[in-house]
Amino acid sequence: MDTLNHILNGFAVSTMPINLWYTFIGVFLGTIIGVLPGIGPSAGIALLIPVTFGMNPTSALIMMCGIYYGTKYGGSTTAILIRTPGEAASVMTSIDGYEMAKKGRAGAALAVSAIGSFIAGTLGVIGLTIFAVPLSSMALKFGPAEYFTLMLFAMTAVSTLTGKSPAKGLLATILGLMIATIGIDLQSGQARYTMGIPEFQDGVGFVVVVVGLFAVAEVFRGLEDIYKGTGAQTMKITGKLWLTKEEWMRSIGPIWRGGIIGFIIGVLPGAGGTIASIMSYTTEKRLSKHPEEFGHGAIEGVAGPEAANNSDTAGAMVPLLTLGIPGGGATAVLMGAFIMYGIQPGPLLFQNRPDLVWGLINSMYIGNVMLLILNLPLIGIFVQLLKIPSGILYPLIIAISVIGAYAINGSMTDLYLILIFGVVGYVFDKIDIPVAPLVLSLVLGGMMEQSFRQAMTISGGHPKIFFGSVITVTLIVMSVVSILLPFILPMLKKYKEDGKDE
Amino acid sequence: MADRIIFVGILVLAGVYFWATSQIPTLEIGDPLGPKAFPRLLGVGLLISAAMLLAEMIKERKAAPETNEPEEKEDTSTYKIVAGVVVATGIYFALFEVLGYAVSTMLFLLVMTAYFNKGKWWTNVLTAVLYSFISYYMFSSLLGVNLPRGIAPF
Repeated sequence: MDTLNHILNGFAVSTMPINLWYTFIGVFLGTIIGVLPGIGPSAGIALLIPVTFGMNPTSALIMMCGIYYGTKYGGSTTAILIRTPGEAASVMTSIDGYEMAKKGRAGAALAVSAIGSFIAGTLGVIGLTIFAVPLSSMALKFGPAEYFTLMLFAMTAVSTLTGKSPAKGLLATILGLMIATIGIDLQSGQARYTMGIPEFQDGVGFVVVVVGLFAVAEVFRGLEDIYKGTGAQTMKITGKLWLTKEEWMRSIGPIWRGGIIGFIIGVLPGAGGTIASIMSYTTEKRLSKHPEEFGHGAIEGVAGPEAANNSDTAGAMVPLLTLGIPGGGATAVLMGAFIMYGIQPGPLLFQNRPDLVWGLINSMYIGNVMLLILNLPLIGIFVQLLKIPSGILYPLIIAISVIGAYAINGSMTDLYLILIFGVVGYVFDKIDIPVAPLVLSLVLGGMMEQSFRQAMTISGGHPKIFFGSVITVTLIVMSVVSILLPFILPMLKKYKEDGKDE
Repeated sequence: MADRIIFVGILVLAGVYFWATSQIPTLEIGDPLGPKAFPRLLGVGLLISAAMLLAEMIKERKAAPETNEPEEKEDTSTYKIVAGVVVATGIYFALFEVLGYAVSTMLFLLVMTAYFNKGKWWTNVLTAVLYSFISYYMFSSLLGVNLPRGIAPF
């Protein structure tokens, strides 16, 4: 009963005019950020944190979440019209979506991705509403040892699932944790790894790292592409922005399946929207009666992946809100935003601030409706953004990043740091080191160390506490398995094949 | 090739990190672990990632035994362009507090668009001037973000 009251109360919060306004701003900016190549949800949210400082936290967080799920809508537009994913997770859409556009069915492709996104996005928020309470009450029993092992599992899963090489994923994770140790140690008051730079005493801000890795590095890559002359041709919106009955019949199954796949992948740490949309695409191709159409403009190849990457965002909010542990790069940035507003996401938040949690969750229902309107009848406005020459767009992104980075402390160190992390991000991309694990572990690093030390204090300095409960042991086993899996799987496969030969 | 450099890089970094950890002064009061234990764990994690990378490199070599394929030659001029952009951005930041946000941003945008959006003088100049002064006004006056004024007369 209590929960139902909280949920209804949440609707009162999210329908307050001020919060409706910020939901709108969030999803509007999200669509823009999604449409524009070169800037994604992580950089978008990070840049807004310093600028929105001093706002009411509920409204600010509603807006930032709006950006997060809004980008998924916008990203498909760019994927369909210029075959460049405006946002990483829409990479699968760019295959069949662009082919549809070439055949004069751009309108149908845009329509199915907006409608599919809406259905799956709403489905995802319903899932979030259902799972939030039981999961958060379970997490209330977690002590420091459970939290430490949970973070360990989130990080190992992200390490091995993002990028091509698990070793490089782990390297990125450790680098993030190492950056998190820079600054004054909160328990002993000792300065660590500050290299004599006074600004480092407060640590390296995560906004600076995210802006450098996700915005500035992306600008370097984009300008490199302009120089190489690999810019793509923008397709015009052709055909009615609606679906024929046949197209609709073909899309509805993929939308439901994609929605469910996306939500499950979203809840689990590590995988994220890109993998969710790839899984949906391969599922649809396998189920299809005409798999040869995939890659040549099959509408199922747009409907499924778009649905998957939208319900993924709602799924990813589940561990962030209920456990306080994000499972990927973009939710890690959202968590950073929560913390900068002095709010610790997690089970206690459901007890102490139900108005905020449910106001936020329920705003996602409203935001999805707004996004459907923005991305269907009004999509023409956003398509105009694609006319901005990238030679102007990329330098502008640097100038915007400068405001975001300087606004935090008014410090020149932060400006030079976004440049350094921009170069690091560019180089890491070239040598296949993923940056999402680095951001995740940077955000969680402080918490992870604290829970490690608290657990060790409780146990009197003996690591046996990490094997003291069913939960910790399960999580440790899962962490070890996720590290060893990429090595074990090929061996098993080989073993099976060898068996067949005999 | 790149992987070998990364491997050596990890080992060097681990060495530096272990050394820097040993330099943290500790007082033997309060918490039993102190500020060094967790970083030591991270150093070990770094070594594990190096070991995993080595395993991957060996696996790859087994999969594709020395085909002696000619190393892909990347056009080095693209790296020069990126280096140029990095230097230009560095100069922009160096002048940021001297000239102020509006003027330095305008100059940066002029230079960058002149190269990457060649020939469209009107658009470029208009964008640079309008963006830098309007955003300065918006952020410093309306949103209260503290941006350096520098030599701008207002």
